Amino acid sequence: MITYIIRRTLYMLPLLILVSLISFVLIQIMPGDYLTRAQMNPQITQHTLNQMKARYGLDKPFLVQYWLWFKQIITKGDFGTSFETMRPVFWTLFMGDRLMWTLIIASTTMLLTWLISIPLGIYSATHQYKPSDHALTFFGFLGLSVPNFFFALVVLWVLVAIFKVGNYGLGVGGLFDNRFIGTSWSLAKFGNLLWHIWPAWLVIGTSGMAGLLRYMRGSLLDTLSLQYVQTARAKGLPEHVVIYKHAVRNAINPLVSMLGMSLPGLVSGSLVTAIVLNLPTVERAFWSALQMQDQYVIMGGLLFFSLFLLIGNLLADILLAWVDPRIRYS
Amino acid sequence: MKKLVAIAAVLMLVMVGSAIAVLAQGYATQPADAKIVPLGEEGTAYENQEPGVQGGTFYCAAISDPKKWNYVTSHETSTTQYCFLMLKGLVDSNPINSAIEPELAKSWDVSEDGLVLTFHLREGINWSDGTPFTADDVVFSFNDLYYNEDVETDTRDILILPDDTYPVVEKVDDYTVTVTLSMTFRPILNSIGAPILPKHALAQYVHKLNPDVPVGTFNSAWGLDTDPAELVGMGPFMVESYAPDQHVTLVRNPYYYHYDANGTQLPYFDKYVILTVASQDVSLLKFRNGELDALGIRATDVPILKREEAVKDLTVLVDADVAVYGTSWIGINQDIGLADGTYENLRTLYRTRDFRAAMSHLVDKQAMIDTLYNGLAVPQWSPVSYLSPFYAGRDYYGGPVTETDAVVFEYSLDKAAALLDGIGIIDRDGDGWRDYEDGTRVEMELNTNAGNTVREGVSLIVSDRASKIGLKLNFVPVDFNTLVNKLFASTGEMIVLGLTGGNEPNNGANVYSSGGGLHFWHYSAVDEPTELEKKIDELLDAGVSTLDNDEAFEVYKEYQITLAKDDLGLVYTVNPAFTYAFFNKVGNANISSPIATPSGTNGLTMDLCFFK
Repeated sequence: MITYIIRRTLYMLPLLILVSLISFVLIQIMPGDYLTRAQMNPQITQHTLNQMKARYGLDKPFLVQYWLWFKQIITKGDFGTSFETMRPVFWTLFMGDRLMWTLIIASTTMLLTWLISIPLGIYSATHQYKPSDHALTFFGFLGLSVPNFFFALVVLWVLVAIFKVGNYGLGVGGLFDNRFIGTSWSLAKFGNLLWHIWPAWLVIGTSGMAGLLRYMRGSLLDTLSLQYVQTARAKGLPEHVVIYKHAVRNAINPLVSMLGMSLPGLVSGSLVTAIVLNLPTVERAFWSALQMQDQYVIMGGLLFFSLFLLIGNLLADILLAWVDPRIRYS
Repeated sequence: MKKLVAIAAVLMLVMVGSAIAVLAQGYATQPADAKIVPLGEEGTAYENQEPGVQGGTFYCAAISDPKKWNYVTSHETSTTQYCFLMLKGLVDSNPINSAIEPELAKSWDVSEDGLVLTFHLREGINWSDGTPFTADDVVFSFNDLYYNEDVETDTRDILILPDDTYPVVEKVDDYTVTVTLSMTFRPILNSIGAPILPKHALAQYVHKLNPDVPVGTFNSAWGLDTDPAELVGMGPFMVESYAPDQHVTLVRNPYYYHYDANGTQLPYFDKYVILTVASQDVSLLKFRNGELDALGIRATDVPILKREEAVKDLTVLVDADVAVYGTSWIGINQDIGLADGTYENLRTLYRTRDFRAAMSHLVDKQAMIDTLYNGLAVPQWSPVSYLSPFYAGRDYYGGPVTETDAVVFEYSLDKAAALLDGIGIIDRDGDGWRDYEDGTRVEMELNTNAGNTVREGVSLIVSDRASKIGLKLNFVPVDFNTLVNKLFASTGEMIVLGLTGGNEPNNGANVYSSGGGLHFWHYSAVDEPTELEKKIDELLDAGVSTLDNDEAFEVYKEYQITLAKDDLGLVYTVNPAFTYAFFNKVGNANISSPIATPSGTNGLTMDLCFFK
């Protein structure tokens, strides 16, 4: 197993290099560059533009640019500098507590989604084709199909225009109300954080519930039709033991590998919601770099997301081997 | 006697103590050279304002985060809006009437030939860390920062004179600075007002002054990771803290040198918090929820807020007569296909003045104003911004519309059709579309940047009106960068776009002069300008070489009419009106001055607002 993990980790390196090369090509194919916006400023002269182009290395052919960037990483561990902030790319992406907030918001949302949709999936499977099953599926898909930005705006609008939360001194969007800006942590501040995070749970959570619910339902239905379940029933085991001890344990295997694969979603799954709800996340920094064509920050972001994806896949495989004794890697 | 000494000693202690207490509260004693803002005084620009009271925290929103704290190397407004709160220049234009006013310089003399300006600096005023401000800071800012080739700055491009030289800045004594020009340049007071930076805090990052640091170190100085306590300025507010994607908190500069007539130090607010709110829909909700004290709003937000005006005790300031700075236009590329000899018909057509006049008649400005801006916009015809003192439109705009006494091309399908008929662009094969003389159909592409709903709307309206007189105009929205590339490579046909603007018409020289870097509708003019373009070049030169503002006004009036009526390089559309909302508890917020930050908070007057 350990040699397997080491081998998988080593495979990641050439894969990441390939990802970086493809990403770099894609960035070059994008029309314009970081200086395109500056070109439209009536007060910037061509001389200054040329100087900036040379300073940022944008005047060189793209393979040369790529090689210089690559060499920097190998020799100095330097992933480049953001044109906009003049700071290292990962500093620019993770500035402040962005990474921490991203992980906190995404992992709590994921936890809640799982805690709610797995039992609902089981319920749905055991009540197949009953009105309650149809109702759950309907609301699940409703959550999936309503666009997140719209749903988030609707939630904020309902809070402001219908419930008039401002009258009770409550704010919408962001992490805290104005009165908590710059104050140290307290119970009241934590409560206020929860008040600001629940819309994110609701919006991101509902968009992920339908998938999980249907997976759990399908997987459990498959298992329930297997012979060993019939055997268990035939030998007179109570129904809840049949379902929870025998069927669910086996049915949950494919979902465990999904858990690993949803790891990259932790850092890159909620951009639109984060923009509307004003949450500080890594993707927002990445998104703004994309808009500005701050190319090394884009590269840094893509590498970071790819790494998360690869680690997620590896974790999925390891988890699977761990929960399912039939699977062995050599 | 002993008693007297004791009393005197006690008195002294009390006085020193209260002085310390005042300083500890963050209020410095008024220096002799403080700038007095005559709030509420009749006959001044501030006659509609009132003196306020100190205290409180003001909240507003900005669309994006700052990228650094370094004004010199910054390129965009989300950064400079903070720098302009922290820094001041020698002079500045008044946010209400645009007049040039003393700032760090208390006065200035201009030599008779206009080539030497002597600035007398305020004495006894301090940087936000208590260090005295002197002429060294001024000389450092220009000679070691703005003019330093190692420093990446576009301010250098604003300071450059038409003869490619820079104003020479020299120190005479600690409080006197001279600026020497190689040619008469009227707008010098605009450009020389660039922010002054603290030598004592920044000289360490400049290789020229501190050879221990590598070349270019200054370009990354004062980044977002710099401790805000290290930032030093002369402006009303200083950055206190910053949380990415959340907020920037600014705190009053205890040494700010502006005072109101009552002797109260400005700014009135203790703190000024700018929340980062990326979505304008959300900032509107936050404003309605009472979380923001003021908000720059879109025309489409006006009806919603108007309904809540009385209930929530707020004011929606709509000045339909005051358009924001900048220009919006349709560029018709007269060089289309010039590089490879293609598009011959189209190029000939685009180079015909009457075709461009016909296009001007097709711009249904009223429809654009009504449908795209809820009626809150003004038609535009001039390259000079509406609020500029050099804007020549007030006599023309809205006046009698004839070809001879006005440059307004009113919306008229008949006139457009007649002009096209006159240049032989008529339907020759009876298919309903107009053709060139050789019988091929006139078919053109109109581009704008996808996602800009207003420009898309403008494009749709224009292509719809064109189709009504048989002119085929295909609207194709493209990515912003693709659009800019088309513009600079002269490969676009017609493009709907806009440019930023300001008070000074000469700032448009890079756009409208025949050799300008942004003369994108006719780049080949750099080698062979038309007679009209030559005239425009001459007018631009004349506009800067006189020191008499009235004379300059006449020059720019002719410049605007020549451009808009005869040359028609760009076909202008409409410009949004100034719209702004604030809660009535905020005093002095009623200034309709779009010299504002992107957050729409009357940037330059923030130091005058207060809580009633």
